[in-house]
Amino acid sequence: MSVRLALDITGVRVRAACGGIGTCGACTIKTVKGSFTPLTLAEWQKIPETEREDGDRLACQLYLKSDSEIFLHNPAPTSNWKSFDLQHWPDYHYPNFVFKNTFYAIAVDLGTTHIRLSFWDRNQQKRIACRHGNNPQVALGEDVLTRLDVQKQRGSDLQSLTQIVRDTIIEGVKDILARDIGEIKSILAKVGVVNIVGNTAMLALLSGQDGSQLYDPENWENHISCLPIDLQAWKQSWRMPNAEINIQAPLAGFIGSDILADLIAIDITQHSKPIMLADFGTNTEIALWDGNQIWLTSVPGGPAFEGVGLQNGLSADTGAIKAVSLKNNIFLLETIGEERAKGFCASGFVDAIALLRTNGEIKLSGRFSEPNSEGILLDNNNPYTTIKARDIDAFQRAKAATGAAMQQLLVLADISIHNLSELWICGAFGQHLNLHNAQTTGLIPSMDCSRIKLFGNAALSGCEKMVLSPNANKITDELRQRVHVVNLSHYPEYDDCFINHLRLKPFIGDE
Amino acid sequence: MFETYIKDYNEAVFEIDKELALEVVETAIQNGVTPEQVVFNIIIPSIEEMMAVIAENADTNLAQHFMTAQIAAEITEKMLAKFTTPPEVVGRIIIGTAYGDLHSLGKRIVMGCLKSMMVEVVDLGVNIKAEDFVDAAVAQDAQVIAISSMMVHTATGEDGSIKVRALLKERNLENKIKLVVGGAPYRFDHELYTKVGADKWAADGVTAAKIIKQLILEVKAS
Repeated sequence: MSVRLALDITGVRVRAACGGIGTCGACTIKTVKGSFTPLTLAEWQKIPETEREDGDRLACQLYLKSDSEIFLHNPAPTSNWKSFDLQHWPDYHYPNFVFKNTFYAIAVDLGTTHIRLSFWDRNQQKRIACRHGNNPQVALGEDVLTRLDVQKQRGSDLQSLTQIVRDTIIEGVKDILARDIGEIKSILAKVGVVNIVGNTAMLALLSGQDGSQLYDPENWENHISCLPIDLQAWKQSWRMPNAEINIQAPLAGFIGSDILADLIAIDITQHSKPIMLADFGTNTEIALWDGNQIWLTSVPGGPAFEGVGLQNGLSADTGAIKAVSLKNNIFLLETIGEERAKGFCASGFVDAIALLRTNGEIKLSGRFSEPNSEGILLDNNNPYTTIKARDIDAFQRAKAATGAAMQQLLVLADISIHNLSELWICGAFGQHLNLHNAQTTGLIPSMDCSRIKLFGNAALSGCEKMVLSPNANKITDELRQRVHVVNLSHYPEYDDCFINHLRLKPFIGDE
Repeated sequence: MFETYIKDYNEAVFEIDKELALEVVETAIQNGVTPEQVVFNIIIPSIEEMMAVIAENADTNLAQHFMTAQIAAEITEKMLAKFTTPPEVVGRIIIGTAYGDLHSLGKRIVMGCLKSMMVEVVDLGVNIKAEDFVDAAVAQDAQVIAISSMMVHTATGEDGSIKVRALLKERNLENKIKLVVGGAPYRFDHELYTKVGADKWAADGVTAAKIIKQLILEVKAS
């Protein structure tokens, strides 16, 4: 990976305007020490001799051969957008697909907290770049209901949540165009399709509605239309006159089309054996394929699975503790970006709970073994490593809701955990998850770890497939027909099941 | 000996260990403790103590809250079946979550506490229309309607408690049926219950059960 691409994943980026082919010179940086690949032709042409002798290089042409030190004298301004690592992504190859002028396509996964998008050249079947950034609506309300309330008050003016999120998405697209292609306006005109998946409330807000139909319980199990009310004006404001903007309709009032994209990403109906899929987040969706239909439900995950909302909770960002291990009774903390810990993201928190449980500092009930109102400090010198009783409680409730929902679906489909051929864990939550620790706390069923698959950006991947596959509409329609939405509040035994799952012990199933 | 049962039971409930709590009660019964003593001298004081601990602790553990009420209700029901004379029932209430609200666990805590305090509970379930609350209260001759809401819009919505109050007024039932509410929105705004037309509210299961019991007695006396 070039230095530029490596930096694109972090919060510190170089300037860029040519897509990384060494023609714009914007990404000049200074090498201080270390071992590097030799100067490329582009660098000989672009960097004046005196500066070359001073160690100046083009970050897009430069690869490190050892631990090195570089200096960014002119970094890009701070941005909401970062690139992400595509190492473990599936490759898609679809045959004979030629578009005349509108060969660019955009896939968007619109989450309550994060937005992920990718930009494709459909003729070359090539992903040009991808980005993830924060959903700025968070500032107006962390949860979906608060945002629906805000939207109601603000109506359809420029400050509406609709406008805010549309502006943000196009900003992310432009970030790709400016940095990875080097042109904006002419490229936007060649975009043929924008495909957007997300949870129901986010899609309703994006489409320009106030989401009031979501308050009505009658709509929770119904299909909710999220057709934009002002499609032409929207296309114009995005300068994409030739684009089809598709908001993928949610499956029900409380189940979005992001889970549909997950199901497409893993080709769920192509499997001959039962499969379960869980997409952890503020709402956790759970799907169970029984060979004939897909049982699908959604439960509140609360803040515990997004990191935010815990005393020291963070989203999976620089400085977040992503993994914890225990050696000679000392907690070893691994942070994203190897910086001093600023708090826990979900995977690190799960590790901490499992280890505290294993060494007896937390009891099965979730209580501290010794009365402790201050909480437990994993690193005595860092207050951001404190875990409070209420954090454990939030986690217990979230994992009990998930575990009970999994169990309830298994009962409905008459399948036991042992008969599940695979369990897929989707959502950013799963990326760093230590499966053994997750099983110790009962967060996921105790099954052989080789049968558990992690797929962090599944929703975006499925969303991409929808714009690339020639049969996308057919596949999507077929999936929709096989989905059976389950509203757990109709099952009184779910409450009992929830209470049984509150304790911090493995989830064996068949209880 | 009796003191030991109380201590063991409290510890089991504190650790939300239902099996152990049941075991303690079984042993007590085998050793001659009556079902009545189990309910009145072990279970009820235990919930009260538990709720006091939870109320004092800023780091409230909701998981524990759920399980305490659940264990208490389950054991009480088992014991009631074994009472030598049928227990004296204080009164009857209709309970459910507000229209538009599917959150059932808060209601469940209150039900657990009510059952162990000998109040008959008719549970209508979740997402209940105002008319259904009132119709059920009349049909079942209940003294109190209790409505749980976990979201602001279901607490303050026009189809929730506000409508129940209007119906009680319209049908001239206000002296015969009292209205109580509970749930997260009421904990944030302690005056909210008056705005939605309720007679009382409570922050936790035991307090709710005590207030409901008091209201039942008031209605019966009037």
